[in-house]
Amino acid sequence: MTGRLAARWALPLRVARREAWRSKGRSLLVLVLIALPVLAVTASAVVVATTQVSGAEGIDRRLGTAQARVDVSPDIGRVVQGADPDQGALITEGPAPQRPLDAADLSRRLGGAPTTELRQSQARFVSDDGAAPVETTELDLGDPLTRGLFDLTSGRWPSGPGEVVANQALLDRLGLAVGDRLEPAAEGGPSPRVVGVAESTTVRSSPVAAGPLGSLGIDTSGLRSWLVGGDPVTWSEVRGLNRAGAVVVSRSVVLDPPPADQLPDELGVTGTTDPVIVAVVALVVAMVLLEVVLLAGPAFAVGAKRQARSLALMSSSGATPAQVRRSLLATAVVLGSVAAVGGVLLGLALAAAAMPLVQRLSASWLGPFDVPWLPVLAVLAFGLLSALLAALAPAVMVARQDVVAVLAGRRGEARPSRVSPVVGTLLLALGVAGSAYGALTRGSELFIAFAAVLCVLGTVLLVPLVLALLGRLARRLPLVVRYAVRDAARQRSRTAPAVAAVAATVAGVVTLGIGASSDALESRSTYQPSLAMGSGVVTPGWSETGEPLPGSWEAAETVVERALPEARTTAVVGLGQDDGNSYTEVSRPGSSVPVLSSYGSALGGSELVGDEALAAAPGLSAATLERVRTALADGRAVVFADQTGDSDTVRVRVERVEDDGTTSRVAQRTLPATYVAVGAATAPAQLLLPPELARELGPTRTVGLVVDGAPIGDAQEEAVSEGVAALGMQGSFYVERGYQADDEDVIVLLVLFALGAVLVLGGTLTATFLALSDARPDLATLAAVGASPRARRGIAASYAFVVGFVGAALGAVVGLVPGLAVAVPLTSQGADGGWTVEGGDVVSGAPPVTGPFLDVPWLLVLGLVVVLPLLTAAVVGLLTRSRLPLVARAA
Amino acid sequence: MNAAGTAVLRLDDVHRVHGQAATEVQALRGVSLAVYPGELVAVMGPSGSGKSTLLTIAGGLDSPTSGTVCVEGRDLGGLDRAGRARLRRTSVGYVFQDFNLVPALTAAENAALPLELDGVRARAARGAALAALGELGIEELADRFPDQMSGGQQQRVAIARAVVGERRLVLADEPTGALDSETGEEVLRMLRARCDAGTAAVMVTHEARHAAWADRVVFLRDGVVVDESSPLPPTALLEPSLR
Repeated sequence: MTGRLAARWALPLRVARREAWRSKGRSLLVLVLIALPVLAVTASAVVVATTQVSGAEGIDRRLGTAQARVDVSPDIGRVVQGADPDQGALITEGPAPQRPLDAADLSRRLGGAPTTELRQSQARFVSDDGAAPVETTELDLGDPLTRGLFDLTSGRWPSGPGEVVANQALLDRLGLAVGDRLEPAAEGGPSPRVVGVAESTTVRSSPVAAGPLGSLGIDTSGLRSWLVGGDPVTWSEVRGLNRAGAVVVSRSVVLDPPPADQLPDELGVTGTTDPVIVAVVALVVAMVLLEVVLLAGPAFAVGAKRQARSLALMSSSGATPAQVRRSLLATAVVLGSVAAVGGVLLGLALAAAAMPLVQRLSASWLGPFDVPWLPVLAVLAFGLLSALLAALAPAVMVARQDVVAVLAGRRGEARPSRVSPVVGTLLLALGVAGSAYGALTRGSELFIAFAAVLCVLGTVLLVPLVLALLGRLARRLPLVVRYAVRDAARQRSRTAPAVAAVAATVAGVVTLGIGASSDALESRSTYQPSLAMGSGVVTPGWSETGEPLPGSWEAAETVVERALPEARTTAVVGLGQDDGNSYTEVSRPGSSVPVLSSYGSALGGSELVGDEALAAAPGLSAATLERVRTALADGRAVVFADQTGDSDTVRVRVERVEDDGTTSRVAQRTLPATYVAVGAATAPAQLLLPPELARELGPTRTVGLVVDGAPIGDAQEEAVSEGVAALGMQGSFYVERGYQADDEDVIVLLVLFALGAVLVLGGTLTATFLALSDARPDLATLAAVGASPRARRGIAASYAFVVGFVGAALGAVVGLVPGLAVAVPLTSQGADGGWTVEGGDVVSGAPPVTGPFLDVPWLLVLGLVVVLPLLTAAVVGLLTRSRLPLVARAA
Repeated sequence: MNAAGTAVLRLDDVHRVHGQAATEVQALRGVSLAVYPGELVAVMGPSGSGKSTLLTIAGGLDSPTSGTVCVEGRDLGGLDRAGRARLRRTSVGYVFQDFNLVPALTAAENAALPLELDGVRARAARGAALAALGELGIEELADRFPDQMSGGQQQRVAIARAVVGERRLVLADEPTGALDSETGEEVLRMLRARCDAGTAAVMVTHEARHAAWADRVVFLRDGVVVDESSPLPPTALLEPSLR
């Protein structure tokens, strides 16, 4: 069988090799078109694989020379874990044991293995501008088990609890040198001396410090970790420790994971791939394949025409259509395999060369150079497949050619297929229908993506028909353009794929562009400012239990004054018990429905006292402000509501959530109130109280510090941010600058345009220069009747324009459909209808229904459809030699 | 001959060397020739005698290594490439053996090509082209594309293109080579008629009976004019011994 296969392909392959060598330009073109995507995918696959440090690769970084790492948490009863608990497979359950494991228990359970304790956390240390976060580790750096976690690059290891090592990133960030002390941002922590520079083997560019136990004041709230030496820790030992409430990372288990049937059932099926991701990858691969096939197609079409005569001679001497086909496909095999193998090799080389740069940009240390062979082999196959597919249509056509006509030297193209426009129309209709269905159904972005691919495929099949129609309409065009249009229409086998490639690219770019810019429009339109434009507010950080961190507001004020001497600062006072453990309910008397469906607390709290902070609240008209001030002055509460009602009192309840989950009422009052409707806008708070009413509800405190009255620049914002972050309150500083057009939005459109431009340019140039070499006899005729040397340029430029413009226009029209379709689900919110609230009360103000927002990036479309083809035509005009072939009569 | 009129085409001691040193080929060696209005000159000779080179040089598609070529009194040596192209658009018409027409253009558009290339407005150019086709009796072909025409029809369109406008020199390189004899005769009759109307024509041919349509036959061998005669029995010309 293989012998027969070899015999059938030996001759075509030999001929193909010579033919490829003879027409070097065309071969090079195909090689580049196929090798480039192969190269790009290979290189990025290698870079990604190298950047991702797998569990096995990173085991020394995580364990040093230890056999395992054991974490014991005081409130965990039983652990269910996978082979590598750091990779997500982790469940904890059951009541906490009487006494958690300690080092002695651990050593006893593991046959007297040596252990050493390890503590890891994050702490803030004083920097030039305030405070910077540092990854901290406490461990015995002299213990052989910890070897491999840190590499000393200068200085020495710590010799006592007052000494630590730090990495270069920490010294740079905090402006320290070896010998200096680390100053903790929080009060009362130790301030150890840095005695050496040691790099973490995991983290590269963020600050890291390590020292003996106690040196950095790490509080792990009961969580204890040990590195364990001795013999390898087996899976059954891991399971045993799990039952005692410990999480175990065992070197031998990670390197040699137990079979799936030994993993605990509770973890369920792991490692399944999300079908959506598979679908997206399949779509992307299909589109790239289509693009490469369409771009390389014209080269094979021209090759087939060049060989038409010799293939006709083969037919006349008895070759079957299959043999004729094979001789052309053999060219694809030769070029495809050279391109695929070459692309992979170059991709590997590129990845190797780029590694130092990637390392410099990466925050962590990269793993060893890693070639993911399976994807690389897939890419290799992809390269070969794309060449074969690109050659398929020309091969089938050349096998069907009229031998007599070719031998008699008649030129001319076969009639356009009658089937493909029908199929194309059908696909296009399906795509449009699918897009429409997708637009009207929620969560259907992927569905629309498939519909978009159908649209593009349909368009590809319709391109020959469009070209033929254009050829008929060309009569009134100037000579060179007329020639170009008619030539494009006549030589469909090489023009259609190029036009289709441009159309497919532009359709994709327009679709994504509409999605991206509609998304941006939604963000812009639905943006709700938190503060009045240009104002800023300092708010405190929150403790882990949800309490606002205590801190000195005078210190915060000093920080602001230092950075913004001109600005006015106003303390915002709010109800004192509004913290993580209590909440305030505001409703109309006799109703349990909140008067406000959503509100912000940008000013530091949502139940505020007095009107001092109101100047910084956004979107309140002067009249409203006046009403609010009057009401407060009259001793009435001001209630922000979705809708005003007839009520002139309000019920305020303060509830406290106890540790066991029950709630208890702290205070309940019915107060005289003025209602202010805010409509769809976010209210600055839910309640404003005059001081005397606030006292009835409990203590008050300062919740924020409003900064206004002076422009706040980026530098000042940063200075205040860093300054208040260093305070005990670990505060943050927010400045309202209105909707900030994400740089990303613009960048996305620019990248899309660039991508489109490269592909459109590539497709157009390919087709144009193939057309020029094909048009040699025609150009010679033109020269003989006196065409000026410029004519060649004019024809080339016109041809490039026709290919680019027709493709881009078709693509833009087709891209509009799925683009608008995908923008609908992407930008519609709350379309499911209003809320209902328990107790049968329907909330009057349902969440606002917004969208869909539709925005076609016309500039992008115009650029792709008009500017780009003109630009390409200009480039082609400049690049084309103006010399006409003068005496090229022999055809 | 018609010595009184001014020669439309005049070649004076024209040499043309292709290649260099070892590969050097002397295509023309001191050819002198004058063609007058209304004259049809046939150029004959064996393959490689320089017939085609003579035609390409006469129309400015190629330049002589030495010697001068004048078309309607203008020395081609003094014209640049663009100037020679202009000359071909306005004064000289070429007819080749095959691949004469641009397949992407209709018959009328092909015939109008020199005028359109010269900047004549499309409508006017089409009018002139239709007139030329009409004179040759092939108006009905105007809107056909080359691959919808027979070889003879294509060749007639090529002649129409060669004479469209006010051009007075037609250079034809084996215009009947790809045609059957009957169609060939018809094409030649047409060319003869144009010459009788005042056009000058040079026709390369290797068929003696076609040379019979000519006023004069120039015989080339190895780049040299070995005989120039008024129409004798053409067969005599083919036998060097009869000189």
